[in-house]
Amino acid sequence: MDISRRQILGLAGALGGVAALSACAGFSRPAGQASGSNELTFTTWGTEAELGGFERAIAAFEEATPGATVRLNVVPYQQMFENIDAQLQSGTEPDIFRAVYTNLGTYAGRDQLLDLSQYLDSDFGDQFTDPLWEAVQYDGIPYAVPHITDTSTILFNKEAFAAAGITSVPDTLESAWTWEEFDAVLVQLRSQLPEDRYPLAYNWQSASVTRWFSWLFQAGGRFLEEDLVTPAVDSDAGRAAVDFTKSFFERNLVPQNNSVKSATFASETFFSETAAMAFGGTFLLPDAASLAPFEVGATFQPRNARGGSDLGGNPLVATANTSKPELAAEFLAFLTGRETQLDFCTASSLLPTRKDLVGEDLEFEALPELGRFFVGQASTVQPEDAAQFASPSVDAIRTVLSDQLEQAFIGGQGTDDTIRNLSDGIAAATAR
Amino acid sequence: MSTPGVETATDATEAPDPLEHPQPQRGGQRSPGRRRAGLRRAALDAAEGYSFLGPNLVLLGVFLFLPVVWAGWISLQDTNGFGDGVFVALDNYGRLLADPIFWQSAANTLLFTVLVVPLSMALGLGLAVLMNSVMPARGIFRTIIVLPMVISGVATALIGVLIFDQNNGIVNKIMRATGLGAISWQSEGIPAMMSVVLVSLWWRVGFNMIIYLAGLQAVEPELYESARIDGAGGWNQFRYITVPMVGPSTFFLLVMNVIYSFQVFDIVFVLTGGGPGYSTSVLVTYAYENGFVTRDQGYAAAIGIVLLVMTLIFTALQWRFNRSRDQVG
Repeated sequence: MDISRRQILGLAGALGGVAALSACAGFSRPAGQASGSNELTFTTWGTEAELGGFERAIAAFEEATPGATVRLNVVPYQQMFENIDAQLQSGTEPDIFRAVYTNLGTYAGRDQLLDLSQYLDSDFGDQFTDPLWEAVQYDGIPYAVPHITDTSTILFNKEAFAAAGITSVPDTLESAWTWEEFDAVLVQLRSQLPEDRYPLAYNWQSASVTRWFSWLFQAGGRFLEEDLVTPAVDSDAGRAAVDFTKSFFERNLVPQNNSVKSATFASETFFSETAAMAFGGTFLLPDAASLAPFEVGATFQPRNARGGSDLGGNPLVATANTSKPELAAEFLAFLTGRETQLDFCTASSLLPTRKDLVGEDLEFEALPELGRFFVGQASTVQPEDAAQFASPSVDAIRTVLSDQLEQAFIGGQGTDDTIRNLSDGIAAATAR
Repeated sequence: MSTPGVETATDATEAPDPLEHPQPQRGGQRSPGRRRAGLRRAALDAAEGYSFLGPNLVLLGVFLFLPVVWAGWISLQDTNGFGDGVFVALDNYGRLLADPIFWQSAANTLLFTVLVVPLSMALGLGLAVLMNSVMPARGIFRTIIVLPMVISGVATALIGVLIFDQNNGIVNKIMRATGLGAISWQSEGIPAMMSVVLVSLWWRVGFNMIIYLAGLQAVEPELYESARIDGAGGWNQFRYITVPMVGPSTFFLLVMNVIYSFQVFDIVFVLTGGGPGYSTSVLVTYAYENGFVTRDQGYAAAIGIVLLVMTLIFTALQWRFNRSRDQVG
């Protein structure tokens, strides 16, 4: 078949036209924005159980709110915040998204979130535990609702403990090991385990490096003063926390690849039986039930000056430029209602944020007998601990912490240098 | 056909196109009508050319040139990405000069390039020569070598984590079993960089082999036959025929491999995260950390612009000094 140049050009023109029209259609409604006047867009990541919980909650909300619809947009966790940042910068952000407590300050401090105080009842915060309500506020204004929480406790290999002669572990928060007792357990395990197995793996890898602050809180310290600008890590508590955690590496109590920048996570080290115990959150329970080739037990984190733990879990936020602020706030309040939260937490093995559910006997599907350790541990998070994460500089502080702990743990950097560099780095981060 | 040197005005197939190469009229003048027709034809040709180029130019403009210019503009600002940035002129570039981690990342990028580029090309050429010979089941071997090319860098790096995990990785298990002792792939700088280089080689050698194989298959067998008659052995044939004849492939691969090495990200990010410390940090992982973790996006853009300039300078130098680029392989 002969095709003339004119025909080719005509075809190219037609294809170009189609492409141009498609592009125009694409510009007309960004993917993240809702089309309907009563439609909310909600971006989240989640496990199958979590997404199921969201879908049930959305269906219930739509039934209870005639005319309202919620469009759920699921993205992989690895891309979640790069996507959200790009959408916020380009004005194509969703109405609502799932965040983490430790990055709320980043968004709230840069005017990206909706001030919920004008849309929620004045006593709305009373239904949540104090640390979590504190965690969703910036400058005294709520910018999120605390959806669920999570925290780390010690998960241990019962057989490895028994073989090392450790026959009992603390069963109540009040009887949790002190640092000295915990250290003695680590040393005992070290002496009984073969050279290529280790007593402990800690879950401070990658973005979770802020879990190191649990040691600082347990030592009675803090990383920022109340102004959220002045560094407070240069203290006896700071030195004690660095000294203690650094010694894990010096004494071979953890594998050398358990440092903060390692690509190997603590849970992998634990489930592969390389470590006899690991710090981990409730989200590990399904894996502990199905993957671990040994029986898993749990106990509380050790305490020093006081108990302390990490602030895990997720708040939900509405974006500052949402065109439906009332509806968005209504949806957020609905998601934190008693029945909705109870359903979500039990299905997903996560901890509630509501005071009236904290004492509830949650029936986790996997290893339900271990749930109470997480609930108890979560109560050691203090409001003043949570408040420090409201700093808009937490992202930059995370980088400083990661660099300096890596140097201290496997780079041979001394405690004094580490504390000085941490303090200088945090000061520089909050000054930006 | 015209006789060379005796071109006739009636030979339409050989005569230059008067519209593309207008010939002077008698007395050096053309009529205004013919000049207008010529211009019209030239304009039509240009329009056709641009209509073919148009879609690609639009794509390149929107997705390549515009982001580069935009990154250059952001690199002159102090910005966390939200709201308007503050114009700081060249401050971000000044900070780079005094930043030891930037220099370490630049040195690591250079080290990675110096190791991966020649090794991947040498291995690729060696394998291509092997696969170009009469070898049983070479189709299967070719597939095995090229297979990593079709796997994403992230997946390759995840496989690398399984291989180089210092507690449970395959390499250390074999080394322990053979009494050699384990290597600290994840907690010491030099082994960590070695693991990155080895995984990158595994990923890149297949691409190099394919390009060299294509080059080798264009080499006339008579050249080798002549060399053999003249008494050249295997090494001399390789040194004096194969290597020069695949010169254009070498030039192409050198430029592509250097650009890849300067831009390496996924393997480092997943395999070592730039650690331990900053011992495997490269410019792109450092830019990512500044841009998306610390949210110092002006500084991250400055690192990106420096990387772009480095790549352009290297490519320009190669283009200027590599004589084999214009040869036909």
